[in-house]
Amino acid sequence: MKPLGSLSLRHKLFGVVLLTALVALIVALGAMVGYDLQSYHRNLVSDLTTQADLLGRTTATALAFDDPKVAAENLGVLRFRPAVSSAALYGARGALFATYARTGEQRAFPKLPEGDGVRIEDRDLILFKRIVNGGEILGTVYLRADYELYDRVLDYLGISALVLIVAMGLALLLALWMQRYVTHPVLAIADIAREVVDKRDYSRRATKLSADEVGALVDAFNDMLAEIGRRTAELESSNAMLAREIDERKHAQGEVLRLNAVLEDRVHERTAQLESANRELEAFSYSVSHDLRAPLRSIDGFGQALVEDFPEHLPDGARSYLDRIRTSTVRMGQLIEGLLNLARVSRRPLERNPVDLSKMAKQAVSELQQREPERSVEVSVWDGMQAEGDAQLLSIVLENLIGNAWKFTSKKDKPRVEIGALKDRGHATFYVRDNGAGFDMTYADKLFGAFQRLHAASDYAGTGIGLATVQRIIHLHGGRIWAEGETGKGAVFYFTLDRAAEAPARAVQSAEKRGA
Amino acid sequence: MEKTILLVEDNKDDEDLTLRALRKANIANEVFVARDGQEALDFLFCAGKYAGRDPKALPAVVLLDLKLPKLNGIDVLHRLRADARTRLIPVVVLTSSSEDEDMMRSYESGANSYVRKPVEFPAFAAAVTQLGIYWMLLNQSPPKKP
Repeated sequence: MKPLGSLSLRHKLFGVVLLTALVALIVALGAMVGYDLQSYHRNLVSDLTTQADLLGRTTATALAFDDPKVAAENLGVLRFRPAVSSAALYGARGALFATYARTGEQRAFPKLPEGDGVRIEDRDLILFKRIVNGGEILGTVYLRADYELYDRVLDYLGISALVLIVAMGLALLLALWMQRYVTHPVLAIADIAREVVDKRDYSRRATKLSADEVGALVDAFNDMLAEIGRRTAELESSNAMLAREIDERKHAQGEVLRLNAVLEDRVHERTAQLESANRELEAFSYSVSHDLRAPLRSIDGFGQALVEDFPEHLPDGARSYLDRIRTSTVRMGQLIEGLLNLARVSRRPLERNPVDLSKMAKQAVSELQQREPERSVEVSVWDGMQAEGDAQLLSIVLENLIGNAWKFTSKKDKPRVEIGALKDRGHATFYVRDNGAGFDMTYADKLFGAFQRLHAASDYAGTGIGLATVQRIIHLHGGRIWAEGETGKGAVFYFTLDRAAEAPARAVQSAEKRGA
Repeated sequence: MEKTILLVEDNKDDEDLTLRALRKANIANEVFVARDGQEALDFLFCAGKYAGRDPKALPAVVLLDLKLPKLNGIDVLHRLRADARTRLIPVVVLTSSSEDEDMMRSYESGANSYVRKPVEFPAFAAAVTQLGIYWMLLNQSPPKKP
């Protein structure tokens, strides 16, 4: 059996209507039948009691005169009451005095009368009634009548059944009719809801058939569908947008990967090219280092040998030419040396350590002084100039810059060289300042090019490689180098050794310019 | 026994200049010249055309150029240091190269000294003179095995 909750709404509604009708009918019919049966019983009893009284009075005389014949006649009136099947009259002593029986009725009577009372026996109602006159009991009336209560009950049951059938039929019709207004719209909503779920068609709407709660339900349901439809459309459009975005991203990613691959290929290619170029460069400088100097040594050596071994065969002019040849070989040797240094600088890895630039500068100055003891240059080196860098490379930087300052002040009366530092937010900009020959700022950008010289070799000796080497070292450290100068007044070379110092260094530079 | 010098040098000019500088410095010790690495080894191990040489007569110093035909200077050094007979012989690398790499490899291979040949002849002559004086007069050779 199905649990009540799983029955369809239609069945529940039918059930409720029919059950209500049934209960109402049963209660109504029951009450009516009960009342009717009760009043029937009461009426019958009272009717028969009255009859018995009446018989007692009419037969009292016959009893008093002991005349059974009259008494039988008196009882004979009972034939007008067909319900009474038999009757009897007992004397004061309980002896049967007169009897009556309906035509065709069996004559059987109780032997002795009983006290006043009514009882039901075998679908008959039996009644005894004493005949009392002036306090003396004259006798007893006995009545036996058909008790039709059960027939009535059966009749009523039949009628009730008929009524129930008709009433239930009507109730059924009523329920069917109600269903049109109640169940049908609700079921229609359910059907549409199912369709919406199955087909995902949010444009469906339930038809509003009434203005009651079901109508409100239809409205609410339709509103809900509209809202869901709107939301779904929004969701779908945003989904589509997302999908498009994902596609675009995938595409872009693919493009990035492709470009990366291309780039990587290119990097590999370039690296290979660079490596090969580097190898060639190394082989080249190795070869330069080993082979290019030997012929110079021969030229110089045998020139010297000429002078030493054949002094008497050499006129002064020849000797002077030989001197010039030897000067050139020395210069050639210096150029080769400079080039090799420049090449070497970028070939070895940078080793950063704390470096005492003050000490290093003083060392460079004292070497210069030793090399040219006859020169008197006023040199000031600041104390406590600390830096992070490759000691060997930084000493090349200082040797070159200080060496330049030393060289370009050689024609000054009071040559002065200063090595110091400008501090800004913990970052230092170092400088080497001199009051020497200086340079024309127009050519400032040519200072650091290899073999670029701003002075005639006859004025100041040099290879034109020193500053190129210095710049390369500074760049290797991630620093910057720049210079300021004025022809005949002097020059300042500034350099930094870390990238962070770059910006403040510029500020210092411009401040210096304003101050100058 | 007279101390001798073995000069391993493929450049005839450098050879002549070296010999001249030694002569000028009045260093009269005998100088043998080998023109490539293989010849140097033949000389020291008394092989090839030097097969008849007294194997006990080792030079007091070997002046070794690095860039040589056939076997280069580093190869020669390796062979000398690997052999018990020449393991202790003083070797001075005398070369034009100022490459750090050459210097490192020379010392790692067991060179006793590394001297650069300067381009200027006076400086070159001074270097050779000092070498001659040092190795011929000042330096004590490793004791000879009995």
